[in-house]
Amino acid sequence: MKSQPKRWNDPILVAAVAPLAIVMLVFFLIPLAMTVLLTFQTTQYYRLHWTWDLKIWTEIFSKPHYWTIMLRTVGMAVICVVISILIAFPTAYALTTRLKTYSAQIQILIIFAFLTDAVLKTFGWILVLDRQGVANWLLSYLGLGPEAMDILFTPTGTMIGMVYNLAVYPMFTIYLSLARIDRDLVLASYDAGASRIRTFFEVTLPLSRPGLYSGAVLVFVLSLGAFLEPKVLGGGTSPLASELIRQSFETRVNWPLGAALTIVLIAIGALTLALAAAFVFRRSPAAAGGQA
Amino acid sequence: MKKGTVEMNKLLNDLNRRSVLKGMGGMGLAAAGASFLGMPRGAQAAESLNYMCWEGYNAPSILEPFQAANNATISIDLITDSAGGFAKLAAGASRDFDLVSSDSPWIQRMGPAGFCRFIDDADFAEQYADFYPQFAAPFEPLQFEGKATGLPTRWGWVGPTVNTKFDTLEAWSSYAPVFDSAYKDKICLLDWGDWPIMPLALYAGVNPYEELDEAALGEVRKVLRAAFKNTRAIVGDLAIAQKGLLDGSFRALIGGGTYCTSSLRLKGHDYIQSIVPEPKDGLKQGIIWMEATGLVDNGKNSAIAADFLKYIVSPEVAKQLAITEATCNLVPNSKAEALFSEEEKKALQMDYMWTAWENSQFHTVAPNIDDMLAIWQEELAAR
Repeated sequence: MKSQPKRWNDPILVAAVAPLAIVMLVFFLIPLAMTVLLTFQTTQYYRLHWTWDLKIWTEIFSKPHYWTIMLRTVGMAVICVVISILIAFPTAYALTTRLKTYSAQIQILIIFAFLTDAVLKTFGWILVLDRQGVANWLLSYLGLGPEAMDILFTPTGTMIGMVYNLAVYPMFTIYLSLARIDRDLVLASYDAGASRIRTFFEVTLPLSRPGLYSGAVLVFVLSLGAFLEPKVLGGGTSPLASELIRQSFETRVNWPLGAALTIVLIAIGALTLALAAAFVFRRSPAAAGGQA
Repeated sequence: MKKGTVEMNKLLNDLNRRSVLKGMGGMGLAAAGASFLGMPRGAQAAESLNYMCWEGYNAPSILEPFQAANNATISIDLITDSAGGFAKLAAGASRDFDLVSSDSPWIQRMGPAGFCRFIDDADFAEQYADFYPQFAAPFEPLQFEGKATGLPTRWGWVGPTVNTKFDTLEAWSSYAPVFDSAYKDKICLLDWGDWPIMPLALYAGVNPYEELDEAALGEVRKVLRAAFKNTRAIVGDLAIAQKGLLDGSFRALIGGGTYCTSSLRLKGHDYIQSIVPEPKDGLKQGIIWMEATGLVDNGKNSAIAADFLKYIVSPEVAKQLAITEATCNLVPNSKAEALFSEEEKKALQMDYMWTAWENSQFHTVAPNIDDMLAIWQEELAAR
């Protein structure tokens, strides 16, 4: 039986959508609109003045350092997505195939790690990555000399923290996609003479795309707002957008500037996602549905 | 069956579930009604104070005796950034707060911002009499148009914080090592707003507490750029900075001073010291920081808030305020000095405090602070 598409003014549909629509309106769209309005104000003696002014936008578009930090943030987010997926996919694949017997136990362990407070986990990495930390102790023990690794307070340190805190998201979204793949399709591929590698690339990988894409989007969006990792593990020497925004709001007490930088970050994030989505859909229109 | 048992059964029969629920409902209504009508309740405090403050001021050992003695409750809003706290007040929260303890420039700024409840120094003559002469009334850093905006509560100095196991204090008689290639990747700047900028500006021959022209701001840019080249990390977290200093991965902390020294010294790390560099090109290189407590003009004109101001600077409370879990700092009350143990005095470097004072600028409102913070952001982005 073919279902009839509902009209937009269907009362049941409206009733079902209304609560979420109200929440989005009150807690997202209205604050966003207020943030946009804030960018046209000025501060004088640490107080907001409601004078419509393009001063902040002129400053943002005339000073390249804001864009340097924004582009660095997007670059770090893209790298974080790639590394997280490279770690998450094999893990999820192993959980659905080779480690099926222990899948539940391993998932519980991953969830425990995921639920541990990010502050604790991030600070914990200091003890590992420090010049006098566990990693250097181990490398020294292996004869590689003292302080063989100097990662703490570098962008690499930031990336390790970001991947560690975020890789779990695609791990679960990919796992769910892989778990839903009909095993018969894989067996049919083998029956048709395809090798394991060809089956993986022509059956498994295309069918796991929904999980892959949703995981990538989650990591990307959360990476754009990464604050703790660059501050604690990055040593503050390569600040990302969130730190720039914090400094503008808190240290400089320049709320219009902080608001404008927030809008720029949201716009860059949305644009990057839109471009990525357009690229994906052009290559494979059925990707959203996960059909190969 | 005994008579008592029969009566008890009768009573229990009468006390069925419905009657109990009715009774509870009635009691609830009565309580709500009493509350609505403003009937006195035994445990309710007579007055409540809203207090915005830094760590230490919120210690139960400080607040509880005052609350008990004055039948008052104090609600705390802890700040981690003086500028952020001020911005909150300026955005309208000044209507809600009675008291603020923050860095002194921000207490002074409440005057021109229009939400300071000025104090009459004569009302606090007894408190001023206990202070060291350096903090005598009228205390200039807290004055606005001849009126006092608050009382000083804690202080210290900003200079290089050094681990003397690795470096001599003589090596840090100036900020030169910050730019020395021998110290590359061994310097830690503290990410505490304007604090690391000010000493570096002083080293560049610029007095950041005066109005600066483009040339002077250019010098600030150059000195920050040079410092960033040698800096390993810009750390906001005190524990990370202290850990690095103790294990030698940081040879010096810049922008902190006694605020990040004394608690380590009290725990036995007396080889950690904060000093003030020698004057350079006629400019004193040290900076005296001070926290102050001020009253907020929220229309209530609370007498108990003024009482709290007297209480927080009293010798016994000042001593508690000096030695907290996280940090240890000096206090302006001279009578508190007698209450410190020898270990505490040593931890606070009290034998050095007036030398530091003599060789330091006083941290006040810097007219070009936003320009300098913008330069800091720009140079960090370009690094």
